[in-house]
Amino acid sequence: MILPATAFTVLVIAAVILTAATPVILLGLLFRDLMKGTSW
Amino acid sequence: MMQTSAALSPFTGLMLLIAFSIVWVTLGWYWGRNNKTFDDYSVAGRNVGMALATATTLATWVTSNTTMVAPQLAYQMGLWGMVGYSFGSVGLLLFAPMAQRIRMLMPGGYTAGDFFRLRYGPVAWRVFLCISLLYGIGWLVSLGMAGGILIQALSGIPYAVGMTVILGVCVAYTLLGGLRAVIGTDFVQTILITLGVAILGVLAIRRIGIEPMHAALSAERPELLNLLLPVSLMFLFNNLLFGIGEIFHSNVWWSRAFAFGRGVGFRAFLLAGLIWAPIPIAAGFLALGAPVLGINVPAPDMVGPLVAARLLGATGAIFIFIVVFSALASSLDSLLAATSDLIVQDGYRRHFRPRASDATMRYAAKVTIVLLGVITWLVCLPRLTNLAAVLHLTGAFVASTIWPVAAGLYWKRVNPRAAVWAMILGSAAGLWAYFGIGFYVAALTGAAVSMAIILAGTLLYPHHFDWATLDESRDTATAGPRTQAGGPT
Repeated sequence: MILPATAFTVLVIAAVILTAATPVILLGLLFRDLMKGTSW
Repeated sequence: MMQTSAALSPFTGLMLLIAFSIVWVTLGWYWGRNNKTFDDYSVAGRNVGMALATATTLATWVTSNTTMVAPQLAYQMGLWGMVGYSFGSVGLLLFAPMAQRIRMLMPGGYTAGDFFRLRYGPVAWRVFLCISLLYGIGWLVSLGMAGGILIQALSGIPYAVGMTVILGVCVAYTLLGGLRAVIGTDFVQTILITLGVAILGVLAIRRIGIEPMHAALSAERPELLNLLLPVSLMFLFNNLLFGIGEIFHSNVWWSRAFAFGRGVGFRAFLLAGLIWAPIPIAAGFLALGAPVLGINVPAPDMVGPLVAARLLGATGAIFIFIVVFSALASSLDSLLAATSDLIVQDGYRRHFRPRASDATMRYAAKVTIVLLGVITWLVCLPRLTNLAAVLHLTGAFVASTIWPVAAGLYWKRVNPRAAVWAMILGSAAGLWAYFGIGFYVAALTGAAVSMAIILAGTLLYPHHFDWATLDESRDTATAGPRTQAGGPT
């Protein structure tokens, strides 16, 4: 059973987008923690 | 791997090594400069916030394997190789509620050893310590070796030099700043790793294209797109259980559960698990571009750097070098700190110096970190090639701890003797399966036997346990300073 091209495309693009979003999520969380004084 | 020509010149590699070494050591010193107590040094003051907690969880679980082996597995096992690797996140997701419970039940705890000692008694505690130290040192050595090998493969810097630098740098900043330094540098390393992987992924999509990649694979290597490839499915399940065993038992994760602020552990492990899952796929699919690019891959474990270098030239190789160096450092530092805690807290303090002062404990932790570094360096130096197999062997041991940990945290009636035999017989059965059948069933067998013993032993001979026993901080609050806590129970 071969994975169709569309499913392969969705899998790869979703993985790359989510990986690219990680630094944004972490920096956003850090900013929030720093503002609240709860980073450490 | 050594036959592959390096993508970077040794000079560029050395400059990158020196630059990042200076950055990590300086940051480690800076974040650790205000450490006053052993709690500050070993559990970062027990108040780590959501951002740093998520990043350190993510960075520690992203090892050099995630960035180098995921492409290799994609190249060898296809789709399920990289998707199966991403199932490693299940361990983090399952540990999320456990981290919260650990923090609640043991507000003054330091190590996973504390849990086994208080929950199951001295015999189970010592069996656990043997398993955990074997695994910890096996992982440390494999990371040290991976550092030397990867740095040499990527830049041509001799193995001994690369291995010594990565070990020396991690020892230096962990020594200077303890867990605070580890967690702080992990944040920066996470940003570098995820940015590097994402940039390479975007470039691969733009320059190769996903549909041409799919078409080339369908024509030349259709088995890589097969959803029912048996060897990949077996790998998936073994990887899943190995990962769960590694996370459930290892002090690397327990020390984080103790270090994260109240209410942070559950959310941090959950988020880290969710954002870790796509990373092996984003790193792994690069390898599937090799057939389209017509790259001759002499060693499958170098397929990631080869594709990156073809896509981006020297810049791609620099990206990969930074990602790999960050991934190695972020796991090595965590392992150094957590293994040293286990040795100092469960070995030194509980066995020899129950009344050790706070300053003595900090000093002992620092000496232990240096000694661990030296021992790892000595074992890594001869570059034994079968150490990866040794680490896989530990799958049998760590999987046998899954049930004693999970059942012990939630099930009041778990029989302590059943926990001891679950670890001993589970490990023995896992070893038998490893040698008799293959590495891919070692963790599965160890976990299955351990589960059967815990369930049978507890249902037949239930034991009563008071959860309050796990909270030693109550005793020390009534008995005076923390250093008054007793020795082995």
